[in-house]
Amino acid sequence: MSRKRIVQILASIIQNAYIPAIFVGGIYQGFLKRGCTPILNCWGCPLALFSCPMGALQHFIGLQLIPFYIAGFFGTVGMLVGRMTCGWLCPFGFFQDLLYKIRSFKMRLPKFFSYFKYVVLVGVAGIVAYVTAEPWFCKVCPDGALIAGIPLVLADKTGDLKALVGWHYYMKIAILLAIIVFSITIKRFFCRTFCPVGAIYSIFNRFSLLRLTVDEKKCIECESCQMVCPMNVGIHRHQHDIDCIRCLDCVKICPTKAITHEVR
Amino acid sequence: MKSGKATLISTFIVGGGQIYAGRFWTGIALAFFFYGSIAFMIIIWTGINQAFWGLLAAWILIWLYNILDAFKGFRYQKPPCEKICPAGIVPWAYINYLALDSEERYPFVPFFDTLGRICLAPCENYCTRRGIDTPVAIRYLRAGVKTMLPEHKHKPKNDKIAVVGAGPCGLSAAYYLAHRGYKVTVYEREEQPGGVLGILIPEFRHPQAVLDQEIDTLKTMGFELKCGVEIGKDISMEKLLEDHDAVFIATGVWKPIKLGIPGEENALDGFDVLKRIRKGELYHLGRVGIIGGGNTAIDIARSLVREGHEVKIYYRRNVEDMPAEYENLEEAQEEGVEIVPLVVPLKIEKNKITLQKTECPEGRKGRVKKVEGSEFEVELDSVVMAIGQYPETDFLKGLVKFDRNGHIMAKDGRTAHPKIFAGGDVVLGSATVAHAVGHGMNTARRIEAHLRHIPTFIAKLLRKTYQPKVKMLPIKQIERIKIPHRAIEERKGDFKEVELWASKDELIKEASRCLSCPLRYHPH
Repeated sequence: MSRKRIVQILASIIQNAYIPAIFVGGIYQGFLKRGCTPILNCWGCPLALFSCPMGALQHFIGLQLIPFYIAGFFGTVGMLVGRMTCGWLCPFGFFQDLLYKIRSFKMRLPKFFSYFKYVVLVGVAGIVAYVTAEPWFCKVCPDGALIAGIPLVLADKTGDLKALVGWHYYMKIAILLAIIVFSITIKRFFCRTFCPVGAIYSIFNRFSLLRLTVDEKKCIECESCQMVCPMNVGIHRHQHDIDCIRCLDCVKICPTKAITHEVR
Repeated sequence: MKSGKATLISTFIVGGGQIYAGRFWTGIALAFFFYGSIAFMIIIWTGINQAFWGLLAAWILIWLYNILDAFKGFRYQKPPCEKICPAGIVPWAYINYLALDSEERYPFVPFFDTLGRICLAPCENYCTRRGIDTPVAIRYLRAGVKTMLPEHKHKPKNDKIAVVGAGPCGLSAAYYLAHRGYKVTVYEREEQPGGVLGILIPEFRHPQAVLDQEIDTLKTMGFELKCGVEIGKDISMEKLLEDHDAVFIATGVWKPIKLGIPGEENALDGFDVLKRIRKGELYHLGRVGIIGGGNTAIDIARSLVREGHEVKIYYRRNVEDMPAEYENLEEAQEEGVEIVPLVVPLKIEKNKITLQKTECPEGRKGRVKKVEGSEFEVELDSVVMAIGQYPETDFLKGLVKFDRNGHIMAKDGRTAHPKIFAGGDVVLGSATVAHAVGHGMNTARRIEAHLRHIPTFIAKLLRKTYQPKVKMLPIKQIERIKIPHRAIEERKGDFKEVELWASKDELIKEASRCLSCPLRYHPH
């Protein structure tokens, strides 16, 4: 198993490690919840230790406050490592990586779909959340459906939550199923097309301290890097691609060692 | 027929077809997501509401995906050699079979042996091994590959298709359509089939015996070949359209381009010279100057060298930028052909040619500038023009649209006329045999989809992919094979094939240099 996989598994466990929830039920509401994780991980999950930055951002936007804390948090992480957290820490990204491993019919996504995540960020998580004062991205988030919606309803003993299941819950499950099918077909479909956290970090990809460089003299354009890339980025074509998640798989696979990562 | 049965099973049991086809975990995963989500919804069921239809759509999506997946099957990602191949050959698969010396046979592609001799081999330019040491000799390795014709015969259909032009493109299309059960008739202007292969390409590069064998193989599919019939003269285009459900135009390019310089009528046409050499009519041209830098120019030069001429090639750009095949060029230089780069002709007279020097940037693109005051004269006995050809498409006037050079405007093979399809050089401009074969096969698929009234994107989605049975090869530090040629002095005297075939052991050794990229670099 590669180093990336081990980190992904460990990160997924550590971020969702509130064991008492299994026996007692309910959601962890202690001290750690005041801090954000640097990726999309629903804070409604009974096991989640940290809060979701996108949920917190929409919360502040809904309250019509300027989210200084979240902005600074995104800025710090983004300037340090760009989208690296997506590649190494994100449990939902890890889930999609595993889905793509299923040996089935595959397709490629045209590049312009990558820009749709800005529409989601500004439209759903920004404008709609501001106008309605409710976290509307959370209401359609497939990660929330997977790690919070399903376990909470299944483990519900009192029947309060089951009574709340309605059209909104059905819609969430439908979106999750669609995302799963597309993730089997297309590499990290959700990350590339919808994820607003990735959209924020992708702005910093160009400026971050950690970055990838391609030696054009050594590059033979075999496109192995694009083939092995979980986001289908041709790093030899655009080095500061908005979809590069710094998983460093291409550095490892490059047959001529043309790709290197540097900290400036 | 495994995928057909798998599709049937998958239609009724989600994931069943995948398990039947040997992909156990794929089947389990699809079944889990489909039946698991249904079970979950039954547990938490609170009645039908607006969003239930969205949920239903998601289930239908999984079901459809599962059927499509069972039909198409799993496929490794395409390595560079396969991606670039214009003929749609899967080089790494046959190299793998060769390296492992396995019983597996590569499915037949029209003109497979021909492409092993005269392909420009763009795959070798894109080979991953190119960056490590030298590319695998993909083109040359085709010598050792055994192919198999498709066993499954399709049901005969009533649709009649006419193919105009029995070149590589037309014959490939005819082969595909005949295999699919259509009634295909091929019309050829010349007395013998093969197009450029039959009457132009000299025998030392592509022997007639190979062509005969190729055409015999293609004919086993059962299409009718009518040679010596010219459309527009012997049969009118209207009658052809009346009698057939679809007409495929693959006539190629035959009308020589004129430079528009004084005295051009004194020069000989390159195709004409090649045709007559191929027929065995000896030429007495004396000192020959050839204008052009393509394979035609090199072929003429090499043929004339074999008949004892003194040959010079004049080309307007650098030698490295010549569009001719690299190996062909190198062999020509070995045989004593002199290449004069960076000159353009100004005036052609009898026994004399006026040339002017040029300047141009590196690479095949960019403007060629003439250098003022650098004119010079060379005494020659004859000048041959080999600067390219335009198609002769007069017989189609009023039926389809053309660009200004006479090429047919076609998208995905379809022209302005609903019954007329076009492919090969007549659409692409002068290209290679590999392009012709690939374009012919693709256009044939389009014709089939048109006759069966299937939209293009569905036809593309439903196209089955070849699933090679391969194993990863270990990386070996072996030097690239030196392709054996006959000795220069010996081969200059006759028209027998220049390239020699290496022994099987050497071919296996060369094949084992392949990195099997899809398994090593492109895993899932």
